[in-house]
Amino acid sequence: MIIRRISHYLCNYENIVPLFAGACALLFVAAILLLPITYHEHPLYPKTIDRNSTLDPYDRGGPPFSQVVIGVQYPENSPTAGLVTTYLTPFSLFLADRTQHLGTTIVAHPGGIIDEILYNTRGLDTVVEPTILLIAFAIASFLYRKVK
Amino acid sequence: MSSIGGVPFYILEFGDELVYFTPYTITLFLLALVFTVLVILSRPERQVDIAFGGDAYTTKQILKDEMRFRRFMSIACGLASMGAMVTGDIFNFTLFTAMVGITNVGIVAAVKSPHVQNAAYQYGLVALSATVPLFGAAAVYAASTGSLSMIELARGTLPAVPIIAKALLVIGVVGEGMAPFYAAKAEMFRAPGAPYVIMCSLSSLLIFLRVVEVVMLG
Repeated sequence: MIIRRISHYLCNYENIVPLFAGACALLFVAAILLLPITYHEHPLYPKTIDRNSTLDPYDRGGPPFSQVVIGVQYPENSPTAGLVTTYLTPFSLFLADRTQHLGTTIVAHPGGIIDEILYNTRGLDTVVEPTILLIAFAIASFLYRKVK
Repeated sequence: MSSIGGVPFYILEFGDELVYFTPYTITLFLLALVFTVLVILSRPERQVDIAFGGDAYTTKQILKDEMRFRRFMSIACGLASMGAMVTGDIFNFTLFTAMVGITNVGIVAAVKSPHVQNAAYQYGLVALSATVPLFGAAAVYAASTGSLSMIELARGTLPAVPIIAKALLVIGVVGEGMAPFYAAKAEMFRAPGAPYVIMCSLSSLLIFLRVVEVVMLG
């Protein structure tokens, strides 16, 4: 009897959004009540923020054209990890010497600072993320053209 | 590792992200692969409406550009499902799951029926909001265990994963795949074009089967 009622409620698809929102809200409340969650002592990709660095917050250290040690899960799978981070094009180096805000322009200058973790050791994620964006734009553009 | 999905036959390394093939994941992977090939090869079914009490019947026409778009979305959905089946990384899994959710919306968004579009819209809202617990769960996994690799989690040397992270992951997958809420999907299935709409159902079933394995790790 109760199952019949539940399925009758669920068969109206407009009830599903509030139901899901309610479930999420309950879970978030539970998550807050279960705090604190202890941090692991050795974080996966350790990083220190140096506010005085011109490459802040993407500075992972090391002089240009050298290989710095980067904390990764499987170092044997990423033998070149640490080289890309230290690489700056001459133009980027010129900018880095003169402005405090180069680190905020991570995507604006090719050959500039590339976050090693994003583009090398976790490259598959970086491929999937733009794919999701591509799919979303494809849907949006299809619908837009259909409406027109 | 051997107790959950079996011993991996093969591990493919993408830096820190390992893709592994165990008997469990390879079965799900092959299922998604076969269905994707079927979607590529098959032509959409054409629904027939029969008027009761008479001999009249009509066949619904599917326009070519609509069919092409839905096939593209179905193939993308199949690829995302395949990725979610074999990935050995929690964050990568959540990304593929989010992609399955958005392609499911895309498969039915091209249909002209307002009823189907309304159901797809409601489903899209759920899929959108489900990304918060989904990626939140991945963040809690990384923060509390110090690793995102499922192989490391399965070894048992890391601290236990908080139960709330697992709960968030499951509700995120439920939202993306709509697994227990098939009412909205049933409305979406009124859309003509059989192999494509079945892809919605199959992909959500597959990601749900995979998340069962994921929450049992660590």
